[in-house]
Amino acid sequence: MWSLGDFSYRPDDYESEKASNGYLMSVVAVMVGLPFPVVNLAATLFFYMANRRSAYFVRWHCTQALLSQAAMLAMNVPALYWTLSIIFGDDTVTNLYLSYMITVVLFNILEFIATVVAAVQTRRGRHVVWWVFGPLADVMVRG
Amino acid sequence: MKAAIQLFLFVALFFAAWALLDRVDLVGLFRVGDISRENEEKLGELIVESLTAGHREIGDTAVTGMTNAILARLCDANGIGDTTIRLHVVRNSEVNAFALPAGRMIINSGLIDYCRSPEEVAGVVAHEMAHIEHRHVMKKLVKEVGLAMLMAIAGGQSGGDIVRQTARTLSSTAFDRDLERDADTTAVGYMANAGIDPGALAGFLYRLSQEKVDLPGAFEWISTHPKSGDRAADILKSKSGRPFTHRPIADSLRWNAYRELVRDAAAD
Repeated sequence: MWSLGDFSYRPDDYESEKASNGYLMSVVAVMVGLPFPVVNLAATLFFYMANRRSAYFVRWHCTQALLSQAAMLAMNVPALYWTLSIIFGDDTVTNLYLSYMITVVLFNILEFIATVVAAVQTRRGRHVVWWVFGPLADVMVRG
Repeated sequence: MKAAIQLFLFVALFFAAWALLDRVDLVGLFRVGDISRENEEKLGELIVESLTAGHREIGDTAVTGMTNAILARLCDANGIGDTTIRLHVVRNSEVNAFALPAGRMIINSGLIDYCRSPEEVAGVVAHEMAHIEHRHVMKKLVKEVGLAMLMAIAGGQSGGDIVRQTARTLSSTAFDRDLERDADTTAVGYMANAGIDPGALAGFLYRLSQEKVDLPGAFEWISTHPKSGDRAADILKSKSGRPFTHRPIADSLRWNAYRELVRDAAAD
């Protein structure tokens, strides 16, 4: 799911802290934002915008965090909408709904674990590369 | 390229996990239906108890015989189990009928007295049956009372005031317009299948919408079923697409005698 990769330079303590905060931002926002999935994305996006002119290491990790949050948003918004339409609308609890919710919860748990690990590792100056979002961050961020 | 492949695999993994989990009978595993059936049953019982405490139920089989025969005819013709819906006739002069959780239905004696034919009663019963069959009742309760409160009521953790308030929600407030239209269309089908003219429901609605202007307050059913004139027109429109052979429920002599019986029972 993730690996420790080589980075083009050794980030200093300040950069490591900033990069780690990019992940922590979404972790904290998860506590505040549930069950409003957009809060996590907004918090990460805000941090990303504030650090877009920072050092390469910081930008890269903010981008990876942002991409993961965007993917979670794409899963969580239908889950929220579906749940609300069951409570307030005509939909009923079906097997399809329950299986979707379980899938989304599983992916959210995995993402949460990966985020915590990334926050800890980047704070130590290590370059954590996630599956899917790492290569995408490589494409989006140029050194 | 690597990013695109991994992104594709990620999306594919998500849908594969969803599809795989969908193969498991999660509804059965989590007993979703059972839980709601149990709670609905308790809710229905408590609400009927609360309502009949204020307006006593008529137990006379000569009175309930006709309404139960109408219900049975509608159920039989539409493949609905005859134990699915339970009908309670109560002593109340308000022209009102409403559906409750767990397939229970209340008909006020005032409504039967107001109807000009058993077909009009059948129209109202068919309409409320549709609310029950399409689970509109529980949806309305969850929306207006809240799931947590309903669970508390069903678990006996709430006071009588809350139950009375919930009963009031069902007897005195309207369903969404879409749900009412859905119930009307379904009722037309139920009636046509049972060989009862759906025009009777349209006529009943139209008459109520005209007369409530003169006698506001007595016509609870119309206040909870707004835009009745328009709905009567819609019912007639959908009736035209449903061929049926009308078989009368009872002749006018028998119907008038029955109304007298209901009047007497209500006065007891």
